[in-house]
Amino acid sequence: MADPISSSAVYAIAASGLRAQQSRMRIIAENLANADSTAKTPNGDPYRRQTPVFQPTKVDGGGQGVAMAKVAADQTPFKQEYQPGHPAADANGYVKLPNVEPLVEALDMREAQRSYEANLNVIEAARSMDQGVLDLLKH
Amino acid sequence: MSLDDIPLFSMMKSRMGYVTAREKLISQNVANADTSGFAPKDLKPFTLSGPGTEGTGAGQLALALPSGSGSATGAAGRGGAVLPVRTDPAHLGFNSDSAAAGGWKSITAGDSETKIDGNKVVVEDQMAKLTESRLQYQAVIGFYEKAMDMLKMAGTAPGK
Repeated sequence: MADPISSSAVYAIAASGLRAQQSRMRIIAENLANADSTAKTPNGDPYRRQTPVFQPTKVDGGGQGVAMAKVAADQTPFKQEYQPGHPAADANGYVKLPNVEPLVEALDMREAQRSYEANLNVIEAARSMDQGVLDLLKH
Repeated sequence: MSLDDIPLFSMMKSRMGYVTAREKLISQNVANADTSGFAPKDLKPFTLSGPGTEGTGAGQLALALPSGSGSATGAAGRGGAVLPVRTDPAHLGFNSDSAAAGGWKSITAGDSETKIDGNKVVVEDQMAKLTESRLQYQAVIGFYEKAMDMLKMAGTAPGK
């Protein structure tokens, strides 16, 4: 007799989406914070940009939520800059800089924000539907 | 007698189950809006028959007789009463338990664009679907309320 599909699964799925986007924001913050982190010695590698990899994941109550499956290193080549006095400069005076592009990070951040809002919208819709059923009791 | 024995109520319950199931799929799509290669899902359009209910033949009107040999399925377990048999999914059902049990068929339904990583979810499309199902759910709740009022009216003495 009870409703076969409980909307609690909806909350669990949307919450997994919120969590994933939050993790993504953390990665973006790491990338931006380290946008200028070079190596300390010559021939050393600077900070390498990280990218989150999302994957559908089962959540409690059944259904496919999402989770950050792993954080992969961005394989784009490093930027180079001529700074002969830098401790990380090679024999020719070039320093390897992180492959972080602040503009890309800013766009990524906005996308994460939008997705986060979309998941919040889902929770709000589920809440208002549940509220409608509860309001039946008032009559 | 339960409320489900009233066709209107079982139909509404089936509809609410459908909308809830659809909302769950939408929430999955939105959660995976940035998962590479993910294709969104949606439910097949709503039918009153629900899953697992098959008609014996479209458009035929048959009446099950209590002593009928072959096609008296409608009379089974109802004390030999004469009941109409559902021969079309659009007929009002006398037993829609199978529809209320959920299990709606989901299909892969890509949105209007595909991203470069193979993800086919467009958040805007999903938000539109979400609002649509929310309104549908509220409509059913409204009908439910009216139907309950009607029952209440039937149970109230005249003039009271």
